[in-house]
Amino acid sequence: MPDANGRGDVVLDVEDLRAYFFTRWGVVKAVDGVSFQLRRGETLGIVGESGSGKSVTSLSMMRLVPSPPGQIVGGRVMLDGEDVLRYSEGQMEKIRGAKIAMVLQDPMTALNPVFNIDSQVGEALRIHKRLSGSALKSQVVDMLRKVRIPAPEARVRDYPHQFSGGMRQRVVGAIGISCDPVVLIADEPTTSLDATVQAQYLRLLKDLQDETGVAIIFITHDFGIVAKMCDRVAVMYAGRIVEQGDVRQIFNNPSHPYTEALINSVPRMEERNDRLYSIPGQPPPLWDLPGGCSFAPRCEYAHERCVEYPPVYELAGGQTSACWLRSG
Amino acid sequence: MSTSNGAVLSVEGLKKHFPVSRSLLGRTRQYLKAVDGVSFEIEPGMTYGLVGESGCGKTTTAKLILLLEEPTGGRILFGGEPVSGLKSDGLREYKASVQAVFQDPWASLNPRMRVRNIIGEPLEINTSLTKGEVRSRVAGLLEEVGLAPYQADLFPHEFSGGQRQRIGVARALALNPKLVILDEPVSALDVSIRAQIMNLLKDLQAEHNLSYLLIAHHLATVRHMCDRVGVMYLGRIVEEADTEELYENPLHPYTRALMSAALPSHPDIQRDEIILTGEVPSPLDTPPGCHFHPRCPARFDPCDSVEPVKTEPSSGHRVVCHLYGGA
Ligand SMILES: Nc1ncnc2c1ncn2[C@@H]1O[C@H](COP(=O)(O)OP(=O)(O)OP(=O)(O)O)[C@@H](O)[C@H]1O
Ligand SMILES: Nc1ncnc2c1ncn2[C@@H]1O[C@H](COP(=O)(O)OP(=O)(O)OP(=O)(O)O)[C@@H](O)[C@H]1O
Ligand code: SF4
Ligand SMILES: [Mg+2]
Ligand SMILES: [Mg+2]
Repeated sequence: MPDANGRGDVVLDVEDLRAYFFTRWGVVKAVDGVSFQLRRGETLGIVGESGSGKSVTSLSMMRLVPSPPGQIVGGRVMLDGEDVLRYSEGQMEKIRGAKIAMVLQDPMTALNPVFNIDSQVGEALRIHKRLSGSALKSQVVDMLRKVRIPAPEARVRDYPHQFSGGMRQRVVGAIGISCDPVVLIADEPTTSLDATVQAQYLRLLKDLQDETGVAIIFITHDFGIVAKMCDRVAVMYAGRIVEQGDVRQIFNNPSHPYTEALINSVPRMEERNDRLYSIPGQPPPLWDLPGGCSFAPRCEYAHERCVEYPPVYELAGGQTSACWLRSG
Repeated sequence: MSTSNGAVLSVEGLKKHFPVSRSLLGRTRQYLKAVDGVSFEIEPGMTYGLVGESGCGKTTTAKLILLLEEPTGGRILFGGEPVSGLKSDGLREYKASVQAVFQDPWASLNPRMRVRNIIGEPLEINTSLTKGEVRSRVAGLLEEVGLAPYQADLFPHEFSGGQRQRIGVARALALNPKLVILDEPVSALDVSIRAQIMNLLKDLQAEHNLSYLLIAHHLATVRHMCDRVGVMYLGRIVEEADTEELYENPLHPYTRALMSAALPSHPDIQRDEIILTGEVPSPLDTPPGCHFHPRCPARFDPCDSVEPVKTEPSSGHRVVCHLYGGA
């Protein structure tokens, strides 16, 4: 059921998720009370500096946090109404790569060079849809056709090195959506991809979303990807979401000083800015967080109240902000 | 800026063809034309940018300038003098004057060396400074790149990515170079640290009148950093102009496609993306006529048979495309 704003059903509801690593330095609170929702057909961007807990958030949803030293210590991950944190490993295997799947942007590392395209695209279908023989083959060819690989019947037996970068990327997309995921996670490392190759990849994901209604989570450092692709944005700092909102709210009225600082430190394509804002210092080590707001030591607006951790304030239009400046 | 002739460094018709043997074809030798006739000039205190698709020859161009590869053709001029003619002293001076910072701050520093030695090594090899003088020069360089002198005794793994890139910059500056080649210097870094390094590079440039050759995919970074930009496609520069002119008025169909694909800085900016059909041709097998014609949305009669020549539709704005006459 679409809601009053024409948005789809909530397909993913993450509530107070916590994932810690128990290391010799202490407890690394990599994800510490993360909550967000994702609707059908919607795209959420999770942004934040390196080490802020973006990947651990996605690994938690996939139940792939390496343990030990990691452990999901609390929260709920409601996928299509069911809490996957309560699933047995057997149940989890059934939906991982199927109902909730991941894609990698870099086509060079995402495919295994020693297996042919057929077996790599077919793997998830074989496991999750129990397809085999000619049914499997024809489904694989269909997937390749869906991502516009020319002459798919002929190309399925090729190996990755026989495909161009762009085609490999489309194969990765085909694998991601092969089992009709409800949620697709795209975790992007910082890379130096060509603008044109990246644009192709983003267009592919958008097309697949339009066709299937899959909800997408982009995990990225790049505000350009957020501006181009996302409906909603969650900004992470030191294991927590410090701000959430619609993409235009985030760009036009960032409510958290960290969001504002991040956006101002990015050079713009459309105009020349002579000096970039640069956030002083570095993110704090997660096993030794300062008391109070974790951003306070780097924040231009820090004041007396910031020695206490701020609550999450709900602002107009569904925007949220964990900053004392929004207290009233 | 585009007409003066006091260039720090210029390259003329630079070529690098790698021999590759294709076993299937037997003995026929094939050449991969990684760099195929590249010319540009870098003025003192200015930043020249090189952009273009992966594999178009940017890093190879940098390696030729750094003398890490031998050119197949063309020449490199340093202060007007051909580098190929330099003898021992001149060559040593050239190597000291042209330094580089690479993309990966993890891979480019020797993990077993203390920062003091990483930065001091070029000084010990190339100068007659005493131990004490090297020590104080290293301390000075560390301060210049925003690190503390005591950090000289640490190892690379004890630094964050941004700090390691600062160490790379300090090492590159040790010999007072005239030109620093920056090959994707910030792409492996966090947004916030990118801003710090870009600001640092600009400050150092202003202070020492450094010239930079910046290689980067991120077009916003290039606009922010560069005075003049060359756009490469399959081993050649297809368009070149002062940065603002290039971004405001791109002429070559490839440049236009590249710019249209760049990510916007705001969700309300919708660019009409020019979608390039077809795959990037291999530099082993470059198409006849204009190298770009198989993917060009504007191709017309002569493009698949006649090679376009360089024209200069407006002062300092050069383009290699039949749409702009020539031939
Ligand atoms: N296996 C592990 N053992 C200990 N700590 C870990 C482990 N994996 C992740 N962490 C810690 O968890 C925190 C969050 O890491 P995470 O990978 O989620 O960051 P990220 O936001 O994805 O960063 P990046 O943008 O660099 O990918 C970091 O401080 C990291 O050091
Ligand atoms: N030593 C070598 N032998 C053979 N081919 C090479 C060699 N070095 C580079 N090449 C080829 O030369 C071409 C240009 O490579 P180069 O590294 O200069 O590209 P680039 O523009 O820097 O790309 P990127 O943006 O991906 O870094 C590529 O096709 C590459 O495979
Ligand atoms: S010369 Fe022709 S094919 Fe080449 S870029 Fe210009 S219009 Fe396109
Ligand atoms: Mg990550
Ligand atoms: Mg390169």
